[in-house]
Amino acid sequence: MIACNDVSVAFGDKTVLSRVSLHVKRGEFLCLLGQSGCGKSTLLRTIAGLQAPTSGSVEVDGHAVSGPDRSCSVVFQDYSLFPWMTTGRNLLLALREEHPDKSKRELVALAESYLEMVGLGGAFDKYPDALSGGMRQRAAIARALGSQRPVLLMDEPLGALDPVNRTLLQNLLHALYRDSDGMRTVVFVTHDVEEALYLGTRIAVLGSSPGRVLALEENPVAPAVPRAERFRDPRVKALRERIMETYRVDVARRSNNDDLYTI
Amino acid sequence: MTKERRQAVADIAAILAVFLAAWHLSTSVFKWLDPVLFPTPLAVARLFWTELPDMAKGLVSSAKLMGSAYLLALATGIPAGVVVGSSARLRNAVEPFSKVLGAVPPIVYIPYAIALLPSFPAASIFVIWSGAFWPVFVNTVSGVVTIPRNLLDSARMLHLGRFAFYWKVVLPGAMPSILTGASLGLVFSFLLLTAAELIGATEGLGWYVKNFSDFADYGRVVVGILFIGVVITALSAVFKLVERWLLRYREVGK
Repeated sequence: MIACNDVSVAFGDKTVLSRVSLHVKRGEFLCLLGQSGCGKSTLLRTIAGLQAPTSGSVEVDGHAVSGPDRSCSVVFQDYSLFPWMTTGRNLLLALREEHPDKSKRELVALAESYLEMVGLGGAFDKYPDALSGGMRQRAAIARALGSQRPVLLMDEPLGALDPVNRTLLQNLLHALYRDSDGMRTVVFVTHDVEEALYLGTRIAVLGSSPGRVLALEENPVAPAVPRAERFRDPRVKALRERIMETYRVDVARRSNNDDLYTI
Repeated sequence: MTKERRQAVADIAAILAVFLAAWHLSTSVFKWLDPVLFPTPLAVARLFWTELPDMAKGLVSSAKLMGSAYLLALATGIPAGVVVGSSARLRNAVEPFSKVLGAVPPIVYIPYAIALLPSFPAASIFVIWSGAFWPVFVNTVSGVVTIPRNLLDSARMLHLGRFAFYWKVVLPGAMPSILTGASLGLVFSFLLLTAAELIGATEGLGWYVKNFSDFADYGRVVVGILFIGVVITALSAVFKLVERWLLRYREVGK
């Protein structure tokens, strides 16, 4: 579904991503896991077509990406919704693109059904500023789902939320993905190992300076397995340990064995 | 009414009462002040009433000049600012010009504009426009530049048409800053309007004050100044209402 072939991105002299090759199959939930500044957001923006690679190429859904891509929708950590439009109008803007033949009344009903899907029934006429951070992200997810594009790209969508809302939204994403019958492909950027272990069917561990893929891990448990059971599974515990070890090696390489940099 | 508000109203009334009492005592009762230069409060109040039709006529003439010049400044400054703000290349090319030209006090254009342009209205519209244009333009540019990147990227992913992109995303995104510029532009407009009228007009609010001070009719001068104060206050109240309506999406969060 998504193929990154030898993708490098540089801003001036600074190489942000170095020769990243990554393949995502239809129906996968891939987490890009890494520290701040490792280029994971840049990789996501490159897949979306918002950032042109300095070298290499990206393909999505069988075509080369060369600009904001019609097969992808994106949810950012903030400012995904236009604050000067009500939640409903934000959704209508995306739905109209996808359903040019539908009447206004049908589009409004559709928008309301998507809002209900993310637990925001009744928020149609509210402005984003009147919603909590968690509700805003729910609305952004509803808009992304509403655009019905095969690939959903999420750039730390839960990064600014408090722990309770974060958990609730993780559960929502988990349920939406589980119920999509393998039709939805998701690439999800996070720096939270637990979040990646809960949501991802596969995890790409990224290292810094320059950004590159250090390891690609399969999640040993199926998406249907609920949270508590998942984190009790010894295979998940082993995977967590392996990911932390990957980080340890990468940090040690960059810090010349200084004790301050031991994790 | 909250306690703080009630207190404020009482304080304002007290200050006004002291001022009026001092004015009344020093002019009507003890006659300390020169009656030509300092008309009594009662005379001013009576004049304000009888002069209202004449001042309203002046207001209409001033409003025509200022309204057309100010709207012209908005109609040129906002689109130009959106276009220039959207392109780094244009921004770099235009910045030195807007810095130099924007810094010239437009009052210095007045004599030249009167000599250059065929009529007084044309000259004053030009001068008012040149005063209001720069703050509107400069603030529109900076409003466009500071729209969060994720908002623009969201819009790009939605594949909005060119018109929808500017009308539904860039313009509202820059709106808070545009309004800052528009409110500065409004203040400059009024300043330049009255300045232009003091110099070359045959009607209007600025002319009214200038004309009666030439005849040493200071009662009408004071009345004219008070009337201008009332007009400006009303104008900025209307502006605030428009601003609140345009940015109504922000109030809901508070």
